Amino acid sequence: MGGYGTRSEAVDAGLTNTVAPTVIGRSGFTVRVHECPDRWDLRLARLSAAPLAEGPMPAGQAGATLLRVLGNRSRSTSPHSNESWRRSNRSTTRQFPRGRAPEAGAGSHPLALGLLLFLPVALLGNAIGSALRYPDVGAAVLFPPYAALTAALVVSSPRHWMWYILAGGVAHFVTHWPHWSVSWVLLADVANVARAITAAVLLRRLFNGPPRLDTLRSLAGFIGGAAVIAPAIGATIGAANVVLHGASPSYWQPWRAWFLSNALTGLTILPAFVLAVGNRARWRWPLANRSRTIEAVALTMAVIGTITLAFLVPPVGRWHVALHFYAPLPALIWAALRFGPGGASAALTATTLAAIWGADRSTGPFRASGIDIDVFALQLFVLLTTIPVLCIAAISTSRQRIVQLHRALLASVQDHIAILDGSGVVVEVNDGWLRFAERDDLASFRKAAVGDNYVAACRSAAEAGDGLAARVFDGVNGVLDGRDKRFEMEFDDDRNGRHDRYALSIEPLARLAGGAIVRRYDVTARHRAQLESEEQRRQLSHLARVTMLGQLSGALAHELNQPLAAIASNADAAQRLLGQHPTDYEELDAILGDIIASNHRASQVIRRLRAMLKRGEARLQPLDTAELVSEVLEMAHAELITRRVTATPVVAPNLPPVLGDRVQLQQVLLNLVLNACEAMASTPPPDRRLSMIVTADAIRNVQFSVRDSGTGIPAKLIDRLFEPFVTTKPEGLGLGLSISRTIVAAHGGRLWAQNNGDRGATVHCLLPSTLVEQDRSGTLGNGSAQHEALSRV
Amino acid sequence: MLIVIVDDEESVRTGLRRLCVSLGLRASVHASGSEFLDSLAAGAAPPNCLLLDAHMPHMSGLEVQRHLVDAGLKIPTIVYTADDAPEAEARYVAAGVTAYLRKPIAGDELLAAIEQVMTQTHPTPVDQRPPAVPPRLV
Repeated sequence: MGGYGTRSEAVDAGLTNTVAPTVIGRSGFTVRVHECPDRWDLRLARLSAAPLAEGPMPAGQAGATLLRVLGNRSRSTSPHSNESWRRSNRSTTRQFPRGRAPEAGAGSHPLALGLLLFLPVALLGNAIGSALRYPDVGAAVLFPPYAALTAALVVSSPRHWMWYILAGGVAHFVTHWPHWSVSWVLLADVANVARAITAAVLLRRLFNGPPRLDTLRSLAGFIGGAAVIAPAIGATIGAANVVLHGASPSYWQPWRAWFLSNALTGLTILPAFVLAVGNRARWRWPLANRSRTIEAVALTMAVIGTITLAFLVPPVGRWHVALHFYAPLPALIWAALRFGPGGASAALTATTLAAIWGADRSTGPFRASGIDIDVFALQLFVLLTTIPVLCIAAISTSRQRIVQLHRALLASVQDHIAILDGSGVVVEVNDGWLRFAERDDLASFRKAAVGDNYVAACRSAAEAGDGLAARVFDGVNGVLDGRDKRFEMEFDDDRNGRHDRYALSIEPLARLAGGAIVRRYDVTARHRAQLESEEQRRQLSHLARVTMLGQLSGALAHELNQPLAAIASNADAAQRLLGQHPTDYEELDAILGDIIASNHRASQVIRRLRAMLKRGEARLQPLDTAELVSEVLEMAHAELITRRVTATPVVAPNLPPVLGDRVQLQQVLLNLVLNACEAMASTPPPDRRLSMIVTADAIRNVQFSVRDSGTGIPAKLIDRLFEPFVTTKPEGLGLGLSISRTIVAAHGGRLWAQNNGDRGATVHCLLPSTLVEQDRSGTLGNGSAQHEALSRV
Repeated sequence: MLIVIVDDEESVRTGLRRLCVSLGLRASVHASGSEFLDSLAAGAAPPNCLLLDAHMPHMSGLEVQRHLVDAGLKIPTIVYTADDAPEAEARYVAAGVTAYLRKPIAGDELLAAIEQVMTQTHPTPVDQRPPAVPPRLV
């Protein structure tokens, strides 16, 4: 049991932290039974059959939850793969309303059978009771009929109670009437009945089913109801009975005697009866396990041996005295720890009976000599023994249940979980983690087992050059120190040709001693879907670009035609000049120079076109802002002329460069320019004015604003303008702006639009400059975060 | 014989000017229609022939033509464009343009167009015709 305490604490705290929905709430819960090969899960199925609402609630989480319970009929062939778990999905759902166990047949057994069992027990009990009687007072040292009747009333339905009470009364009468007067017997029976009914009602109210003494709270309730209140009521009537019949001068003496004897019964025989009768359905279980059977037999022998030694064997020498009281104790504690309240109360009953028998035979520490002080001492002894032992049983059972639940929880969760303590040492891992570690060569920190220091393993792996380990190391330390609420990262597992992706998350453990929960889960499917969607987005962006260029095809042709026309005229002129005398070599030289320049321009146009049409990955570089503007206006030049739009660049001086992909930013700005032209389609040509204004703001972001003098953005569209498929053009797709926004966002910028005060609208595009990126990362570098984002566009 | 070339693109202007010069014509250039019209208003001599780029900002070739017609100036006009849509030609012709060329313009083409334009508007006396093109040296 060493280390139990720490682990339980971790367990309790850990249960509040798991993100997976596995906390048990107080409301009705659904148990879903899946197929699974693991034997842990089989135990869990049994566990969940008991009403968990009675158990201790893992700290504070309310609400209905789902406990994945796995029970199995057929074994899967590969018990260690997650695949087999997921593949099997046959399930049955049972609905458990709050607090009620699946009917163990409580209250539904046939009356006749019950009476048949009850009557002999009641008769026997009465006989024993009258044998163990105080000589004067008439109260027994122990009164088994109380236990028998109460147990019967607790497990049967109230409409049968009449019969059991009647049967009990008959048994009582039959045993006592020849010796005592009718009135005495009747009144005594009234006391018995009142007591039993009180106890039964209280127990039924308390437990909503068969009583279980597996928590301190339920034990306290049981003792309060069945060992204090009910006996008190019985004692009140019983003592009155005694006084009425003049058998005792005082009231309180018989009261005390009656109370104690029934309280003791309530502490020893009653729990045994009630637990046995209430859990009939589960009797088979302890015996199904062979080692458990052997243990039970050993325990029984130990109990019998020790109580014989303590109470039934005549004393031999003085050293024997200590054994009277303490000899049975180890066996009782063993029974409490290993067999719960049922085993404990059975052993306690045996002990009590042995003590009484010993007292009767004058062996053991208690001798009945007609003086009831020894009886009192005996009763006190029993009281002082039973209560602590039952408490031990209750605590042990509730603890075991938490641990079992915790283990089942960790075993059934598909994530790989490791729980670290405050210094980073692994306290507990789940099956998933162990299975992952079983795979071939893993970085050592991924294989950390219980007892290893996870943080140290990460550090040594990081020092050996593992970049991932370095990040994990920082993350773990951040969480353990309380600096971070959560650390998350994803990594790829490319061993053995698999391309899996896992996400790792580290969260703090909610307890004073600190600690963390390391959780790994498979996100391959999600990652793949993400990659696919990124690829599609990239394709879409390319498609939009190509479409835009298609719209500009006329303009592009014009752009090419200009230099070609110049070349044609120049070459023609040069040829003619060659025929003239004297040859004007200077002019020829100038002509050839111009031809080269025009050719250069033409190839530039083609180069730009090719760049726009390519579907490559985004490349980040510092871009001169003014150059960007002039390139875009050049590309749109012919189109602007065709549409009779006057475009004016207004570029502030000394603007910092923008870090981004040239083609993508050109795409965005071109898109804005073309949209502006569209907006001015119905404006009379002299009023078609477009300005591209570029400024830098205080924190050195660069803002491009494309302002038009068109119709403006309709009010109902202004919030949705950047959503896909939103367009004012009758034949437009409406994707241009949404793709532009994605591009700008990937660059770390912002794209938004507003209507102008006078006419038309302005679309603003804010982009961080290289200076901002420098500030942020300390180097110009490649802006890794941006790069990652850009590679998705 | 003066030809005025109006085109917003510098390289094209220069090329055409050189071509005209090599053909033995005098040529001057303007960067925009409004510049040309301003120069006329300022008293410059109207050219014998006008070479207009159709595709210009602020004032297209068509607009220049209309301005001239409105001003009552009868200048033979050749409009050239990269646009090869048939309705474009119809438009220009309807506006009163004398000839319509497609870019890129070969020297012979230009010469032929100029001749055509010149004979259409004023039949020139033989001695005022542009000199024949000297044979090319091979």
